[in-house]
Amino acid sequence: MISDNFKLAFKNLSQRRLRSWLTMIGIFIGIASVVSLIGLGQGLRIAITSQFDFLGTDILSVQASGNTFGPPSSSVPNALSDDLVDKIEKINGVEASYNRYIASGKLEFNDKQVIGLAASIPMGEDRKLFEKMLNLKTQSGRMLKQEDNKRLVLGSSFSDDSIFGKSVNAGDKVLLNDVKFEVIGVLEKKGNFMIDGSVLLNENTLLDLTGDDGTTDIIAVKVKDEKNIDKVKFDIEKFLRKERDVKIGEEDFAVTSPQAMLEALDSVLIGVNIFVFIIAAISLLVGGIGIMNTMYTAVLERTNEIGIMKAIGATNSSIFLLFFIESGFLGLVGGIIGILLGVLLAYGMSAIGRIALGSDLIQASVPMSLIIGSLCFSFILGTFFGVIPAYQASKLQPVEALRKK
Amino acid sequence: MNLEEVSYSIKNLWERRTRSVLTVLSILMGITAIFTLMSFGEGMKVYMDVLADEVGADKLFIQSKGIGAPGTDENFYISKDEIDFVDKIKGTKDVNGFYMKIGELKFKKELRYGYLLGFSPDDKEFMEEVFTVSTIKGRSLENGDLNKITLGYNYQLPKKVFDKPLAPGDKIQVNGNDFEVVGFYDEIGGPDDNNMYLLDEAFEILYPESKDKYAMVMLRSDKSIDPQDLAEKIEDKLRKYKGQDEGKEDFFVETFADALEQFGIIINVINSVLILIALVSVIVASVNIMNTMYTAVLERTKEIGIMKAIGARNSKILFIFVFESGFLGLVGGALGVVLGYFISSFGGSIAAMSGLPMLQPVFPPALTIGCILFATTIGAVSGFFPALQASKLKPVDALRYE
Repeated sequence: MISDNFKLAFKNLSQRRLRSWLTMIGIFIGIASVVSLIGLGQGLRIAITSQFDFLGTDILSVQASGNTFGPPSSSVPNALSDDLVDKIEKINGVEASYNRYIASGKLEFNDKQVIGLAASIPMGEDRKLFEKMLNLKTQSGRMLKQEDNKRLVLGSSFSDDSIFGKSVNAGDKVLLNDVKFEVIGVLEKKGNFMIDGSVLLNENTLLDLTGDDGTTDIIAVKVKDEKNIDKVKFDIEKFLRKERDVKIGEEDFAVTSPQAMLEALDSVLIGVNIFVFIIAAISLLVGGIGIMNTMYTAVLERTNEIGIMKAIGATNSSIFLLFFIESGFLGLVGGIIGILLGVLLAYGMSAIGRIALGSDLIQASVPMSLIIGSLCFSFILGTFFGVIPAYQASKLQPVEALRKK
Repeated sequence: MNLEEVSYSIKNLWERRTRSVLTVLSILMGITAIFTLMSFGEGMKVYMDVLADEVGADKLFIQSKGIGAPGTDENFYISKDEIDFVDKIKGTKDVNGFYMKIGELKFKKELRYGYLLGFSPDDKEFMEEVFTVSTIKGRSLENGDLNKITLGYNYQLPKKVFDKPLAPGDKIQVNGNDFEVVGFYDEIGGPDDNNMYLLDEAFEILYPESKDKYAMVMLRSDKSIDPQDLAEKIEDKLRKYKGQDEGKEDFFVETFADALEQFGIIINVINSVLILIALVSVIVASVNIMNTMYTAVLERTKEIGIMKAIGARNSKILFIFVFESGFLGLVGGALGVVLGYFISSFGGSIAAMSGLPMLQPVFPPALTIGCILFATTIGAVSGFFPALQASKLKPVDALRYE
C-alpha cells in the first residue's frame, strides 16, 4: 500500500518533469547556499579557535584591567607589580607561575622595518615549564639559552619573504629598536598567528632593551590539577584583592583561563555565523514557498483524479499521504543535490580564498551533522509546505471533485 | 501597450489567487532583505558624509604606528619637539598634540575603563570640532580646571557605563584621584561616547612620565595647499627631521577624509557580501516565477490556441505573459519595499536605543524605485522563456491540447 503511494507520487512528479525540476532547483539553490556558507563559517571558526589548542586547560593568566583596546603590552592605569609572581606561586594548588613581559618595538632587516611585539622567555626554573607549555621547536638554528645576550628567536612567519621581502634565517643579523641582534633560531610553524609572528628574547635582554619599571604585562599561572582551576582562580582573585586593596566588584585586574577567552571569541564567531545563516535561510523559505505553489497546482490539476480515487474507495489519509510524499520527495531530492553542490562550493571557495587572500584561516569544514541536518531539514521543508495543499486535497468531497472541470 | 491585454493578464492572476500570492510572497522576501540591508548601507554612507562634513576636509592627523589603538602603546609617540617642527611647516595651522590613555574611572564603587583625552585649553574649540562634540549638560573645561573633567555622552545615561547616570557636580575618581564632573558632550556614536576629557595639565599630573609624549597630533591645512599634498609634505619633512628612512617611519599622516573613506570602504564590502547572500533568495524567487508561468502557459494552452485562431499575434501572446510575470515582480517588489521600510525603521530604533546612532536606515527615492524596478525586471525576465514558449505555440496544436 505504502509502496503504491510512492510509485504513484513518483509517476506524477515525472509526468510534470519541468515543474518538478524547477521546484527542486529552488530548494537546492537555497540548501547549497546555506551549506556552503555554514561550511565556510564553521571552517573559519575551527581555524581560529584551533590556533589556541596548544594552550592547556590548566593555565590561568593574570592581567591588569584597562587594555581593552590594545595588546597585553598596552599601558594600563595600574599595572601588576612583578614581585606578585612569587606570592602567587605560594597559593595552594599553584604549580608554577612566571612573568611575561611584552613590548612593542621596531624590527629591521633587509632594509625594511616592521613594528610589532617582542615577548620574553622566563629565566631560571620557569624556563623549562615555559618551553614545555608552548612546546616550541626550531626549524633552523636553536632555542635561546639562558646566557644568550643580543640574540633572539623568531616565529616561523619570518622564514618566508612575506614580512621583510626576504627570508630570515638563523645566523642573520637584525635590528631591534636600532640595536643589532643575532637571530639564533627560527621556530617551527605552529599555526597560531601570535607564536608564528613572535619575536622572543630572554627576559633580561628584553628588560635591558625596554627598561625595567617593576611591572609586568601578564602573570602566567599553571595549576597543579586542572579540576581545581576554579578554586585556584578564586584564591588568586582573593589574594590580589587584598594585595591591591580593592573590594569585590571593584577589581582592577582579571584572572582568565585561555579556555574562557576562547569561548568568548567563539561566541562572537557563532553570532556572525547565525546572522549570515538567517539571511541565507530566506532563500530556503522562498524555495519552500515554491514547493507549496507546485503542490497547490498539482492538487488543482488532479482534482478530478482525486475524485475518482475517492469514489473507488481511497481514504482521506491515503490521499493526504500521496501528496505529502510528493512534496517530501521534492524537498529531499532538492536537498541532496543542494548538499552536494554546497560542499563543492564551500571547498572550492575556500581554496580560491586561500590563494587570493593568502590566509590559512579560510577553511571549509562541512561536518556530518551539517549534512544530515540539511537533509532532514530539506525533507521537513518539503513536507511542511506540502501539508496544507495535501490536507486540502484529502478533504475534497468526491462528488464535487468529480464534477470539477 | 493595450489596456485590454493588461486587464486580461490581471484577471488571470486574480483567478489563480493562491498561486499569485505565493509567487509574490517569494519575491517579496528577497526584496525585503535587500531593501533593508541597502537602507542601512545608505544610512552608514550618510552618517560618514555628515561626519566628514562636521570634521571638515581641511583636518589632518599624525599618529604613531604603535600596536593597538592610539595611546595604548607608550613606546611610540609624537614628542613636543616634533609638534613644534610640524607647526613651522608652511601650510599647517592649529597644530595640536593630544594625550590619550586608558584611564580607570570610579564612581560609587563601580570601576570602569575608558579613553582619557588630554588637551590644551587653547585648543578646546579645535578639539570639539575634530571630535564633533558640543556641550549638552554643564559646561566645558576652562583654563585652570585642574581637578575637573568633562565626560562623553554615555556617562549621563543610566545603565550605560555606570549603573547610575552621572550629573554635573558629581565627584568621581580617575586613577584614584578626585575629580569633579563639570559637563557632558553630546552623542558621537560608537565607543567615542565613552571618552573622558581633561586639560593637558591635569593629564600630566596623572601621567607625569607621559609629559610631552603625544598619542595624536591634529592640525588644519592652510587654504593655500591641498590637504592631501600637505599630508605627504609633513610625512616627508617629519621623516627627515626624525632621521628615518622612507618606509621605516614610526608615524603616519592622514587626512580625516581619507581615514573615514577607508572605514566606509570596509563597511561597504561587508554590506555587499550580505546583499549578495540575500540575492540568492531572489534567484530562487525567479525560479518560482518561471515555474508559475510555465504552469500558467500549460493551463492556458487551449486559450492561447483560441486567441491565435482569432488573430492574436505572437508578440501579443508574448506581451501578455511577460506582463503577467512582470506584474507579479512589481507587486512583490512594492510590498517588499514597504515591509523592508518597517523592518529597517524598527531595526534603526533598536540600534538607536542600543547607542549605535550610525546604524540608522536612510530611504533615498532611488533605493525604493531601484528595488521595485529590479523586482519587476526579475519578474519579466523569469517569465520571458515561458512566454516565448506560449507565443511560439502552433494554433492547431494548442487548440487540440487537452
